[in-house]
Amino acid sequence: MAIRVNPKLIGELKRYGAEDVHNCYHCGNCSAVCTHADDVFVFPRRPMRFLQMGLEKRIEGILDPWLCYYCGQCSSQCPRGAEPGETMMSLRRWLTSRYDFTGISKLFYQSWKAEIAAILIVALLTASGFLWYGVSHGDIQTYDGPSAFLPSSMVHIFDWAMASVLVLLLGINSIRMWWLTTGSNEKTRGPWWAYLKCLYLLPLHFFTQKRYGKCETRRSWLIHLALMLSYVTMLVLIMFFLRLLQDGPGIRWAVHSFGYLASAGLLFTIGYAVYGRIRKTEVHLNHSHESDWIFLWMLLLVTATGVLQHVLHRTGTGMAANVAYLIHLALVVPMLTLEVPFSKWSHLAYRPLAMYLGDIHRIALARRPQAARAMESLKMAS
Amino acid sequence: MSYEPKIVGFLCNWCSYTGADLAGTSRIQYPPSIRIIRVMCSARIDPTFVIDALAQGADGVLICGCHPGDCHYSEGNYKAMRRFPLLKKLLRSYGVEEERVRQTWVSASEGQRFADVVTDMTERVRALGPSRIHRNLLADVRER
Amino acid sequence: MAQLKIGVYVCNCGTNIAHTVDADSIVETVWKIPDVTIARSYRYMCSNPGQEMIINDIQGLELDRVVVAACSPRMHERTFRNACKSGGINPYLFEMANIREQCSWVHSADRLSATAKALALTKAAISRVRCHEPLDPLTAEMCPSTLVLGAGIAGMTAALELALAGHPVCLVEKTDRLGGNLARLDLTAPYLYSARDVLQERMVRIRQTENISVLLNSQLKSLTGFIGNFTATIANGNPSADEKVLHVGNVVVATGYKEFDAARITHYGYGKLPDVITSFEFERMLRTGRILTKAGKEPRYAAIIHCVGSRNKEFHGYCSRVCCMTALKYAQEIKGAIPECYVSDLYIDMHAFGKGCEDFYKKSSEVKTLFLMYGKNERPVIRKAEPGDDCEMLIEIDEKLSGERIEIPADLVILMVGMEAREDSGEVARLVNISQDKDGWFMESHPKLDPVATTTEGIYIAGTCVAPKDIPDSVAQARAAAGRILGRIAKGKIEIDGVFAEVNEDRCSGCRMCNELCPYSAIEFDETKKRSHVIAAACKACGCCVAACPSGAIKGRHFTDQQIYAQIEGVLA
Repeated sequence: MAIRVNPKLIGELKRYGAEDVHNCYHCGNCSAVCTHADDVFVFPRRPMRFLQMGLEKRIEGILDPWLCYYCGQCSSQCPRGAEPGETMMSLRRWLTSRYDFTGISKLFYQSWKAEIAAILIVALLTASGFLWYGVSHGDIQTYDGPSAFLPSSMVHIFDWAMASVLVLLLGINSIRMWWLTTGSNEKTRGPWWAYLKCLYLLPLHFFTQKRYGKCETRRSWLIHLALMLSYVTMLVLIMFFLRLLQDGPGIRWAVHSFGYLASAGLLFTIGYAVYGRIRKTEVHLNHSHESDWIFLWMLLLVTATGVLQHVLHRTGTGMAANVAYLIHLALVVPMLTLEVPFSKWSHLAYRPLAMYLGDIHRIALARRPQAARAMESLKMAS
Repeated sequence: MSYEPKIVGFLCNWCSYTGADLAGTSRIQYPPSIRIIRVMCSARIDPTFVIDALAQGADGVLICGCHPGDCHYSEGNYKAMRRFPLLKKLLRSYGVEEERVRQTWVSASEGQRFADVVTDMTERVRALGPSRIHRNLLADVRER
Repeated sequence: MAQLKIGVYVCNCGTNIAHTVDADSIVETVWKIPDVTIARSYRYMCSNPGQEMIINDIQGLELDRVVVAACSPRMHERTFRNACKSGGINPYLFEMANIREQCSWVHSADRLSATAKALALTKAAISRVRCHEPLDPLTAEMCPSTLVLGAGIAGMTAALELALAGHPVCLVEKTDRLGGNLARLDLTAPYLYSARDVLQERMVRIRQTENISVLLNSQLKSLTGFIGNFTATIANGNPSADEKVLHVGNVVVATGYKEFDAARITHYGYGKLPDVITSFEFERMLRTGRILTKAGKEPRYAAIIHCVGSRNKEFHGYCSRVCCMTALKYAQEIKGAIPECYVSDLYIDMHAFGKGCEDFYKKSSEVKTLFLMYGKNERPVIRKAEPGDDCEMLIEIDEKLSGERIEIPADLVILMVGMEAREDSGEVARLVNISQDKDGWFMESHPKLDPVATTTEGIYIAGTCVAPKDIPDSVAQARAAAGRILGRIAKGKIEIDGVFAEVNEDRCSGCRMCNELCPYSAIEFDETKKRSHVIAAACKACGCCVAACPSGAIKGRHFTDQQIYAQIEGVLA
């Protein structure tokens, strides 16, 4: 069965950041230099080819873009300036929008104005929601205690509710990812026991991103790891230790020292990324899509307001602290509800999932007869 | 009985002689049975040369030219090719064994092939033993 | 016959010969032969002292024959012949025995046998050299006129080059106008010059140059003679006009190519599907200024297919060289004219070999051409699309870079037809006595070292009639051929090598068997004397007539029967 070439797709990908893909003439240098590419996952060349030819179904079906950590070596080595690294990034954006069943992701990637508008709307809704609660249940001057404006118990319940919604959305999208890349194709689906055997890969890659460490530039991995662990620390503190964290006025060093470390980590790594993108210090920071900026700025603002409200609280200005906290929450909510399932932050699920599914693919392929395996490792049969 | 066969080779200048030279520059070894006589083209080879060589005592004669289609003079090797079957018929009537006279094509780049041809022919001629007819032939042919 | 004085020199060639062959024992043995006046061995005979040794011996000992047993005559025969000449004897009174490439280097394990063989080869050389005769070269006049066949870019360039140097040229063209195949093009790759401008310049200059006489609608009817002295008969298409007879010194054949007939490949549907066209038809469209399908609409999808009739076992195995760059030119031109059109380019390999070509290829990528690769002996299949599709045709092929079997939409398909030899090239080759290779292209004298000369002296070939090539190379070859001819004309006379065949008229029976055998048509029959006669200047000394003559009337100079018999005797002694 012949598959129809669609030269229009590449034009659509421009909105997602793909540039110069046409320059690629398939010398294969990029795949040769990539530390992670192998016989089964030939990238960035295979995704570049599918993209040039507009084979949407094929692109939806591959894991390759997620196996890439954008060290940028491929782009440095490309003799034609076809930017394979950035193309992989743009494919990740496109795939994010395809895995998303709601269509919101697609809207955001194609229009940064829509994303900003959505953020503002959610921020305003959040702010008005919390403001109404605070005004009706407490006193704006008070941060701690029974008449607290934004008591930790309430915020805690809200956090868990929001988290559940997020997990649900992301979970559904992740299942769609599994179906498109693995489940719908009997050649890659793999036996049920493989799913159990490889399960450890999910937390392993989530927490350590150890494959990123194998890229030629270790520094990027370390910075990202620091960013991620700082974030996870804050998340754990907020989800499980909110009362200890929030309620003052004193400082509980056992808890707060983690918070300070994490905040410092966040500020440093985000600052590094922002600086890098402005000055284009490294290959993978040369190209910045609006979604990259929105993500970074939101993260920075959230961290900054979080630190601010803590400082204001602990230095005694209750109202200022509450206002800062309100702003903080008004930023946190859109950041998490919009960025995680629909935008750049979705990679926290898709990447580890891709590592996991990648091994399942390998097991499935290894079980196929010898001759068919060689053929199919290089193409996805329809 | 061991004897060393003597084979006279008629090689054309442009292809086979150059091919034999290439065997030399490549240091490819072959038996010292062959004595090479250079002609410009295999078409120059008069069948009486072959008979004369056998009359003079050669145990074998090898005729080499360019591959058909590649002759430096266009079609000389075709002319040589046409003469050969009649010559073989004549030699058979003289009692000369099939394997003693051979025509083959060697190009300028086929040093190894030349060495292989000589080696192979030497063994075949050795197996046949020394030529027995040269005295009779000498009486018939040498009148020039 | 007076006793000859033969000098025999056995080279050691350092250790190349000496390590296997005992040169001294050969010297000792041959010196015993009565007419060998002197026999020596030396380290390097080809060196200056070695040659001096020969020269001194010739002069001091009054030698009249020299034998050198050393490397292959293909290496140093000329060196030693020159030494003999310097010594004062005719260079052909010399013979070489090959005891290196064909002895010491190939029998290095067996010193005894190698030495015995070297001795036999030396003795053979001595026997042969006794029968050598002095030979002198002939001279003939060189006519400064030149005949150029074909008025394409190569023919016109060669004609101009010769005429502007001051020599008369006759430019013969079969059709009714100058320009050849280049006149059918719009722009050229990769610098996008206008073909018309390139040709205009040539055509204007030809008209202005008095030395060039242009004969349109004309063809060569016959060519006789030899280099420096050809007689050409040109027939005009007009039956009432007389044939022109010209006397020329050299001929440049620049008859060009014809394009492959795309209808021979049925899967492309050429001739059946209206919007499948050849590259030449597309050029015509480009010259009108608008790119349209047969229905008069601008195509939304265009496809270009490379290697139509080329690089294919079934038709022609060779590459036609210019089509890849031309295809890229089309991709850029289509994108320039219709930016929204999606252009696909189906190729086997991208041959972007010359100056500016890789950059041209990159430019085609930058204008968003989709490149698709197919396999060498496979062929894309073009069919009409279904009514629901948004294109006119679909091309189906196994695409190699993705490993998928794909369908490509196309409203317009351009077939890059290859070059092939013209139908009349066989006739031309026969008339001027040159050879064609298996694809019909004219054969050059040596593919690397002599690309514009042929095995027939005085006949030169240039341009695409030799092999597919682009404009710069055609012009280069045309100028090269002109340069060679100018060099010959400058010498004024030509020297013909003294080695050729001679007919002994007393022995010739007039059977004419040799006339048809000569590949150079160098034997003519004298009707009055009823004898055959060899045109010495045209003879290449292959010897086929010598061997074939039933009367033994033809003598092959320097390769006489006597000399070869002597060699046979010597080698078996």
